[in-house]
Amino acid sequence: MGQQVAIIGSGMTQCRSRWTEKTFWELAQEAVANAVKDAGIHINEVNAGVVGIYNDIFEFQAIPESGLQGIVGLANKPLMRVSSGGATGAYSMLAGYNMVASGQYDLVLVFGVEKALDCYDYEARSATPAVVQTIGYSWDPWFERPLGAHASASYAAVVQAYMDEHPGDLTPMARAKVVELLCQHAQKNPYAQRLGEKVTADQVLNSRFIVHPIRSLETCVYTEGACALIFASEKVARSMERVGHAPTWISGVGAANEPYFVGWDINRYKVLHRIYSDHLATKRALDMAHLSIKDIQVIELHDAYIPQLMITLAEMGVVPLGRANDLVEEGIIMPGGRILVNPSGGLVFGGHFVGGSNMMSTWSVMREFTEQNLQFGMIHGTGASLSMYGCVFVLERRS
Amino acid sequence: MATEKKFVIPPAMLPETGMREVAGNDGKTYLVRNDAMFTGMQHAQGEFSEFFLALRDECRIFGHRCPGCNHIIVPPFEKLCPPCNFNKMTKEYVLDIGITVATPVIVVFAPARFKDEVPFALGYVYLATADNSFTDSALFLRMRTTQGAIRPGIFGKETPVKIVFRDVRRGEILDIFAVPQSELTAAQIAKTPLLESDLEWNRVETPHWTVTPERADALKKVVRSFQLLGERIATSPRAIKDLANWERNVEVRTGGGTFWFRIQDGTLEVHDGPHSGTANLVLTIEDPMPLLRWVENTLNTSGESLTSPPLTDFVIEGRLLLNKTELETVTRLDRITRSLRRDANAG
Repeated sequence: MGQQVAIIGSGMTQCRSRWTEKTFWELAQEAVANAVKDAGIHINEVNAGVVGIYNDIFEFQAIPESGLQGIVGLANKPLMRVSSGGATGAYSMLAGYNMVASGQYDLVLVFGVEKALDCYDYEARSATPAVVQTIGYSWDPWFERPLGAHASASYAAVVQAYMDEHPGDLTPMARAKVVELLCQHAQKNPYAQRLGEKVTADQVLNSRFIVHPIRSLETCVYTEGACALIFASEKVARSMERVGHAPTWISGVGAANEPYFVGWDINRYKVLHRIYSDHLATKRALDMAHLSIKDIQVIELHDAYIPQLMITLAEMGVVPLGRANDLVEEGIIMPGGRILVNPSGGLVFGGHFVGGSNMMSTWSVMREFTEQNLQFGMIHGTGASLSMYGCVFVLERRS
Repeated sequence: MATEKKFVIPPAMLPETGMREVAGNDGKTYLVRNDAMFTGMQHAQGEFSEFFLALRDECRIFGHRCPGCNHIIVPPFEKLCPPCNFNKMTKEYVLDIGITVATPVIVVFAPARFKDEVPFALGYVYLATADNSFTDSALFLRMRTTQGAIRPGIFGKETPVKIVFRDVRRGEILDIFAVPQSELTAAQIAKTPLLESDLEWNRVETPHWTVTPERADALKKVVRSFQLLGERIATSPRAIKDLANWERNVEVRTGGGTFWFRIQDGTLEVHDGPHSGTANLVLTIEDPMPLLRWVENTLNTSGESLTSPPLTDFVIEGRLLLNKTELETVTRLDRITRSLRRDANAG
């Protein structure tokens, strides 16, 4: 194990479905400036950077990170771009963590940025089919993409297979109640895309299917925005602590990616009714932190789709597989329950600017540490076809 | 083999050059430029060419089997077996029958290039092997029914399926699809290859039901409400646009009786009784009450917007049967709910 790593600052932009007023350059710069200010450092102190950008097409530029080099204050310093599907934000953080834990750098800027709604379908006169198509380019061009595969179909396949395996779990009402809960949470997130919106369980149940069995109000939103974090070595973090700036420590990291093709052997193929990557990544992160899931007080997890959120929580061990309804019916994640889930409103209500939304999750957990005096939290990213990527961080606030 | 000439990018999807001004949230003016991320491709199929040529020319499917661990993978996505330290795999033909891994999903909202094909189902299939077993990896396929539009309940987990080959094949994964064996005769299941033209498509049997007074009464209300809907559409620019460039004679058969409507030039015109000729589309629903709730919800532009599911969901759930795979008429009607509300609230 390398040296300890802490997060000493965070910065967000507002999440919006579309920013015609800002390009991804200004969004990135704004988030970085906010993070540097929050950390109380000068950007010149930062040694290196990692940027999460999911999709070149969204940015309308190949190697879009090149233009950001000087804009974020890293002239003549290393800046590495990470792209790992929906989990781009979390994997960018893993890269930043390793840069510091290895002892190579003391201060690393980790940020994520994304545009999306500049894509446009001129035939349908709507952005959405083009955004869906762009994400659909993530599927292989020989066997899956020609069939019309896309993100919702892919996650729905996992959800449906889970429901086949566990009949009666993931009831429509339990899922609708989770949507209602996250909507309420989002009203306390000043950066949330759906701030001011009210969605009820009845509305969820009557919203249209986008891919059976998933309804439109159970899906994450398309978002444009940015988030930045400052990762610090123990030496730097301790010096910050002495001047009253409490760092958030990264106590555990874990990652796992499942194979692309579906089959029955979990060691060789993607088993359709599992999100095994989430199970493995969580276990590895908790083992590293010497904690169990019962110690975790707040989780910000990647809710691309509400039923996937419920499966992920089961894979993490919050409830057994097949008992995800208990999250709602036994009040485990409901107000006053054992664990606080997605207090930012998650990706469904807070926003999903893919390159950095897992960093927004981190910002949210750090906020909950301070506001609710919590000690242990976890953040999670998933992504790619069939939710095959998993990346988890255990965060800790030490008194 | 002759192939149909189609454009990769439909002309309607090509943007004209242009720059326009939009108002930002801050009240300032910003520019938006019409553009496209455009790269023509001659995409090499490489090592997968042999697999696709076998589909196209032999109507056969093969996988790769590792002689070390005995796993057989379809599609043959690799030639060397990583768990056996990259042991060389061998080609092996598999059968054109199999079982679903799980219930297939039904795509309603598709990527731009597939939006004219909805609803369609996608599922994973383990194919049978010559040694009376199944492949170790699953093939991802379009799943089809011979009985109208795809809907839940046709396929489930471990549903026996037959692979069907298209009559015109191009050497791609869309050359094949799966249908449930339960819809086939024993002779069709045994036939190899089974071609698309060997099957009778869009066989929607009219359910047998008795017209009850309650349903007949409900249907009268449905017809009246649809007539009112036609009048309201005529006053809503957005709703007119929803029905523009679309012409259909649609017959609606219910347990309360039958009516039909014509969509033409942005209008909706409703008539009692069955259509006198051949309707372009036949909608069948036993209980007319869900239709009544939908149309009343659509006409109510001031209340909660989601007191009824959309018509699309009735199709997807299998309550509203279509005689063919054509969702566009239904999705256009669904758009009217929001359009009437927006125009009413705008003025």
